[in-house]
Amino acid sequence: MAVTTKNLPQLYRFCFLMTGDAAKAKQAFQDTVREAATQSAADEPPPDRLWFFREARWRCVNLGEQGIQAEPGMLEEADISPTASSQIQQLDPEQLAVWVSAAPEPQRSALALYYLDEFTLAELLSLLEMKAPELSELICSGRRQFQAWLDSTFAYYGGEPLDAG
Amino acid sequence: MPDKSDVLLGCAPITERPGIDRAMRMAIQGARRVPRKAATFSHQQAFDAALAKVVRAIPVDEQIAEWFVNENLIPVARSGWKKIVRNPVVIAIAAAALVIGGIVAYRVNEHLHDFPGADKARRLLAVGASNRSVLLDPLQTEAGALSDLFFLKHRLEHYDIPAEFAAFKTLGARVFDDDEVRRVAQIWINEKRMQFFLFPAEPNKKGQIEDFPDWRFVELEGWTGVVTQRNGICFMAMLRGTEKDLRPFLEKKKE
Repeated sequence: MAVTTKNLPQLYRFCFLMTGDAAKAKQAFQDTVREAATQSAADEPPPDRLWFFREARWRCVNLGEQGIQAEPGMLEEADISPTASSQIQQLDPEQLAVWVSAAPEPQRSALALYYLDEFTLAELLSLLEMKAPELSELICSGRRQFQAWLDSTFAYYGGEPLDAG
Repeated sequence: MPDKSDVLLGCAPITERPGIDRAMRMAIQGARRVPRKAATFSHQQAFDAALAKVVRAIPVDEQIAEWFVNENLIPVARSGWKKIVRNPVVIAIAAAALVIGGIVAYRVNEHLHDFPGADKARRLLAVGASNRSVLLDPLQTEAGALSDLFFLKHRLEHYDIPAEFAAFKTLGARVFDDDEVRRVAQIWINEKRMQFFLFPAEPNKKGQIEDFPDWRFVELEGWTGVVTQRNGICFMAMLRGTEKDLRPFLEKKKE
């Protein structure tokens, strides 16, 4: 599938989820789009939609390596609560991005790509270069960890709306 | 260890769009049928949908948003027909299609002029190609004279040698039974190591035997036979070569 500028907002959101930082997301996004433009100008095969996200992913991972690294298996997990959706509605996108960007690779990429709600399972597996059981495991544990984070955060704030700032 | 449907449910699409693959569709339908699984899956879907909604709400930097307005930001390179033609995969497919097309055309052409009994004739071409004259009973005479021998010794009626080939000198002959062709008379000829075969004609699709006095050619792996059918018996002359090598023998009679 060819990429038009209509796909680009999702690419930026992906960069933002991956880095948790607007400046880094902007940098990864711009570098990716410039690289695509350079390739097209050099008469190379036109980059497809997945190419953009694959390219952006590695740029974000490289940018993320400059900061503190998350370690796998360090977070608590909890069963998904029936009230989770109402808790999530009170979140700011920045809070979600900070949480996702703090996850270790490849869970971070898996969660960012999955919650874009943009790709089929086959596309996700191709982008992440993994098998379905591994992706499923990463997303399931991500859900449970996020639920644990929600539970602890809402308990701390006493169910009041959160302030990202 | 989670089963396949649990694995698929774990990464089920947040928005169910058309085109979800069958295994995923079955896993989702299966989960919705079992009350306990249905509740868990429903919570998961609400959780995922809420998170996806937050993701969609991620504000896009104003400076970045300007990039989206410029439709020509990413020039879409058109892949011209020259590029397509130069693609090795396309070349390989085209070459394979040509070869297959050639073989099909050859086979169709081969069978277009087929007659009932053509398969038997080809089978005997294979027999003739693999035989040596030592297998035959030595018999030096004119080929035309063997009709009487076949009738008197083997009770084979109408096993006659056509006039075009009756004058050839023989080296040997034999009569044998073939599973498919039945009673076959084989004659080895001195000239050009030619061989003659006489065998019962094959009925057509209506079950009738239709003689043909003209000559029809069959080929097999470098061997060529020319067949005529009279009185329910096929006569075939064969040699190693092409139709061009056999035609002169047919022309001689016309002269």
